[in-house]
Amino acid sequence: MERTVFAPGRRSILRGAGALGLAAALPPLGSARAADKTQLAISLRSLTNPYHAKFAQGGKNFAAAAGLPIEVLVTEGNSEKGIQDVSALLNRTGGNMCLCIDPNDSPDAAVIVKACAAASAYVVTIWNKPADLHPWDYNPNYVAHIIPGDGVTYGKLMAETLFESMGGEGGIVTLGGIFSNVPAIERRAGLMQAVEASNGKVKILDFQVADWLLPKALTITQAWITRFGDKIKGIWAANDEMALGAVQALRQEGLAGKIPVTGIDGTPPAIAAVKAGTMVGTVDWDPLWVGGMGLSICYNAKIGKIDDAKEPHLHREFYGTGVPVTRKNINEYLAASAHPKPIDYNDFWGRVKGQIRYS
Amino acid sequence: MSAPTTVAGPAPASARGSRRAAGVQLRGLVPLGVLILLCAVISVMAPEFSSLGNLRRLLSAAAIPMVLACGMTFVILLGSIDLSVEGVIAVGAVILSLLVANGVNQNDFGLVAVPLAILAGAALGLVNGLIHVHLRIPSLIASLGVGFAGIGVATLILGGSAVPVTDPLVQSIAFQRLLGLPGIVWIAAAAVGIAWLIQEYTRLGRWTYALGGGEDICRLSGIPIGRVRVGVFTLAGTFYGLAGALCVAQFGEGQALIGQGFLFTVITAVVVGGTSLAGGVGGILNSVIGVLVVTVLSNGMVLMGVPPEYQQGVQGLLIIAAIALSLDRKRTRFVK
Repeated sequence: MERTVFAPGRRSILRGAGALGLAAALPPLGSARAADKTQLAISLRSLTNPYHAKFAQGGKNFAAAAGLPIEVLVTEGNSEKGIQDVSALLNRTGGNMCLCIDPNDSPDAAVIVKACAAASAYVVTIWNKPADLHPWDYNPNYVAHIIPGDGVTYGKLMAETLFESMGGEGGIVTLGGIFSNVPAIERRAGLMQAVEASNGKVKILDFQVADWLLPKALTITQAWITRFGDKIKGIWAANDEMALGAVQALRQEGLAGKIPVTGIDGTPPAIAAVKAGTMVGTVDWDPLWVGGMGLSICYNAKIGKIDDAKEPHLHREFYGTGVPVTRKNINEYLAASAHPKPIDYNDFWGRVKGQIRYS
Repeated sequence: MSAPTTVAGPAPASARGSRRAAGVQLRGLVPLGVLILLCAVISVMAPEFSSLGNLRRLLSAAAIPMVLACGMTFVILLGSIDLSVEGVIAVGAVILSLLVANGVNQNDFGLVAVPLAILAGAALGLVNGLIHVHLRIPSLIASLGVGFAGIGVATLILGGSAVPVTDPLVQSIAFQRLLGLPGIVWIAAAAVGIAWLIQEYTRLGRWTYALGGGEDICRLSGIPIGRVRVGVFTLAGTFYGLAGALCVAQFGEGQALIGQGFLFTVITAVVVGGTSLAGGVGGILNSVIGVLVVTVLSNGMVLMGVPPEYQQGVQGLLIIAAIALSLDRKRTRFVK
């Protein structure tokens, strides 16, 4: 009975929803003329996190400065979708395109680089690519691979910042990211280097994996407070979310600000926590720079201002420079980010911090 | 009054049935036994487990999953599933964090904003139920869609950023202690009380059991099936909205992914507690046990020093063991 009552309404609703979906899927009319102007594109996992949201903004800023059209492609964590979206855009632009992509997964980079090279489009990859895929294998189309910050260097730097605020010795507990993630492995390696360099003065009481997540870090830290009590002199976390989870667990015990905590990534709540004194350090990857310069390097290779085939490997696969934010420089950092200096899009290699290593 | 809810449906009246009923009654107690055993083992291996401080931390860690379980239990009792949890939390959390004093805008509406977050959750639950019932889309897909939409809305509002919350009142929900326990624990306890009253004393609660037991008979006896289903999803959304508000208090920030990881925690907790995914069996008090089992387990593994490499595996095995013990296989003809 219900079926007959609701069927017509249901069908018309579905039809309406289908039409809406179709309208959303159609390309905006303006971009049909993109063939004469070079199409810029940024591809990323999701706009739900501050890092990628700023990364996309950085790309848009460059596009505005260069007066070129830009599209932001979101994979939603789906490699297949990421690859299809890029192919569709390559078709539409006939290859007159520059892509700055943070691939969903390392293997995706190979497929996308090959597709771009076949269409004579130019591409720069960020963070993820297979170790055996190199920009110089696809001259001139695969311009560069950029890792915004070297996990080992900054993991170590944050550990050192932490030790300093502990007075150089004592027990620490450490929160790691997902086991198989490259940044999780690198940042932890940096931590271990700093611990070894302390000559036994700093001891790791425990290491736990909180999968990059705040709630999980909170419950782990609660259990640590039970297990180690006041033996905990500091907490090192491989990212800001987990660091903030630790801070919240400390806050419940009235210990926030008394036990130093460090993170990495430079998210707004972490910056606020450094300002408030509940965290002692984080590293800002400056995603505005990454998105903007990724596209700038790519576009300048396309128009011939950079002859990438002749550039040294250092300029083709490099670590960028992170901005450490600590209790010492927080006020200057906040003042500087309130009035950001415009990025010099022609300073291609100013932030190169060494060639990428493979272990 | 609690006993009937742990028993599998109405006990059969026949003489042969009474022995089975006794077995069922006993089996209903298995989750509680698992919890006690777990606590005993952990206490032996890590004596600090049973310290007052740790019990307080345990309860505060269990609070948010508990509130979520209040909603999820009704949905699972129906024989449905609700995957919108993380999306609804996101919307509730983002709304609250942007309306109280925060690091992004000038708003400062204080705790008045909490009911708004809860209402937003209820509204999403209502949409969920309407889509499920009137478009005849299975709850699995309807709620998955609503969940994605929720995260999408939260992302749109925030543009991907995270909002640090500075309102001291909101933070105090999580930290202010009353009789030694943080406020969030009392709120969760109140939520459980309300859910239990709904389950036991309202038509919605009783019909939920009836529907989970067999929808065809309910239809023939004139129960408004569609309305009950919509009502249950709305109720569930209300609890998720509250949980979203509690997330802001507990975590000190609002962002689109703040609920990440809670969906599977809460489904696991409800099922481990003894509420059957087939519907009609279990209840709120089961879920209280289930949430405690899951929380005690993750707390205990850190206390006992189980290496992180093994933790997920141990968790998986214990969950299967808990469910295997509490299942009544004689009554189950098919396993789908």
